[in-house]
Amino acid sequence: MAPIIKPGEGLLYMKVGTHAQETLEDIIERKRKEIEDAGFALWGYGGNTCHPVSMVQPFARNYERKAGVLYLCMQQMNSKHFATPIRATEMSLDGFTWEKIPTAINVKGSRYALAIKNLRLDDFDLALARTKVAIGNSMGRIGSQYVAGRVDKACLEVSEEGVTQPHDEPIVHIGLIAEIISPYAVFVRD
Amino acid sequence: MFLYHSDMAEDADIDLRAAFNAISDVVQNRPRPLRVFDQIYMKAGDMVLQSELVARWANGKKLAFIGDGDAISVCVAYLHKREIINYGPSEIAVFDFDERICGAVTRFADNERLDQIRAELYNCLDRFPGPTDFDCFYTNPPWGASNDGESVKVFLQRGLEATGYVGEGMVVIADDPDLDWPKRVLSNVQTFAIQSGFFVQRMMPQLHYYHLDDAPNLRSCNLIFRALPGNRVPGPSRGISDSARLAHFYGRDNPPRVRYVREKERLDYGKAHEDEYSLELLEDSHGTDH
Repeated sequence: MAPIIKPGEGLLYMKVGTHAQETLEDIIERKRKEIEDAGFALWGYGGNTCHPVSMVQPFARNYERKAGVLYLCMQQMNSKHFATPIRATEMSLDGFTWEKIPTAINVKGSRYALAIKNLRLDDFDLALARTKVAIGNSMGRIGSQYVAGRVDKACLEVSEEGVTQPHDEPIVHIGLIAEIISPYAVFVRD
Repeated sequence: MFLYHSDMAEDADIDLRAAFNAISDVVQNRPRPLRVFDQIYMKAGDMVLQSELVARWANGKKLAFIGDGDAISVCVAYLHKREIINYGPSEIAVFDFDERICGAVTRFADNERLDQIRAELYNCLDRFPGPTDFDCFYTNPPWGASNDGESVKVFLQRGLEATGYVGEGMVVIADDPDLDWPKRVLSNVQTFAIQSGFFVQRMMPQLHYYHLDDAPNLRSCNLIFRALPGNRVPGPSRGISDSARLAHFYGRDNPPRVRYVREKERLDYGKAHEDEYSLELLEDSHGTDH
């Protein structure tokens, strides 16, 4: 069932698929096991549109306060991600101080990771035109204009009612969601 | 191929192929950008035009760069040295907190015998070390999306100090008609300059593109300031530690924590790192089986 996300609240949108030579189905299964074992999972990703320190952490702190929960809304896509599936052994909140990643958690082929729980399949449409970029150099740009070309993830604020409800506007289909939890996003390294 | 545009002097046709190849030499020499410090590099085509413009604007003058990850300073000196353009600053000093950038400037200048350019390790939060007799300054600072331009004002302040508050400055900052925050930054930066005894001499809108994956269409403008006649230095240069001013310096809730980026010395500078690859040798039989 689609979450209700009101105007002024946030969501993190991301396209997902094969990552580090592992299919999405296998990743989902593995991440659910991590949540069972460790209470949370680290969802690996890359790129600068959701940099842990300058984007996701301040965005998540701000919007979690507003709504109590911050959703990661994922659109499945076909992809070939050839990154080497090297397991990260350390994580850091700030890029300065590093700590060991719990053995129950395996992040592969990524530089950053989101802390998530309640990972589940879902089925709803997301009207990106009813969102705007919430933080960074593109702050204020309409989500549907921003997510294009190489931009495949975004920290968004909902600007109009019904962002996850059926309507006639251009939409993206969300098939997987999770809740982002503190510390929201970290750097990882092997 | 020759380049000519309406902003250039009538006799300023330049060999475009030679200019691009010169900028390519400079780009090849730059360290890789650290995004966490807003090191976001301008695209090469725009660097050609920007370098020509800066060279002409600062022709015969002493020019200070308050930070210069793009390496426009080196481009300006190199285009002049190679006689691709026949004008340029008489002296260039680059002040940057990244030792890799300072090292790249120094090494390139040494290799190409660019006598008029030097680099100095300097963090703009510290008092400006001088000298303060530059004729003009150039800065392309963090654009201040999250602090309404406060980070731009820090760099601008150091540039004003470098000229003793009597020169000119070119500030390169975001300019996008579809977004609100660049308009607020442009307004605040102009207000700060006016309060410092300068006026806006020229604004060249929406000129440059960047290797910026989270905002690939965001452009920057050139904002050129000039001191009012009789302008005076407001006081000695001082370090900046006001937490309210620095709280969102590199983005929301992201104040500066690093004084300098230090360079790890290597013998193979500019070459592929040995830890990037391994060598698989030809089979022993190869070369004997013929």
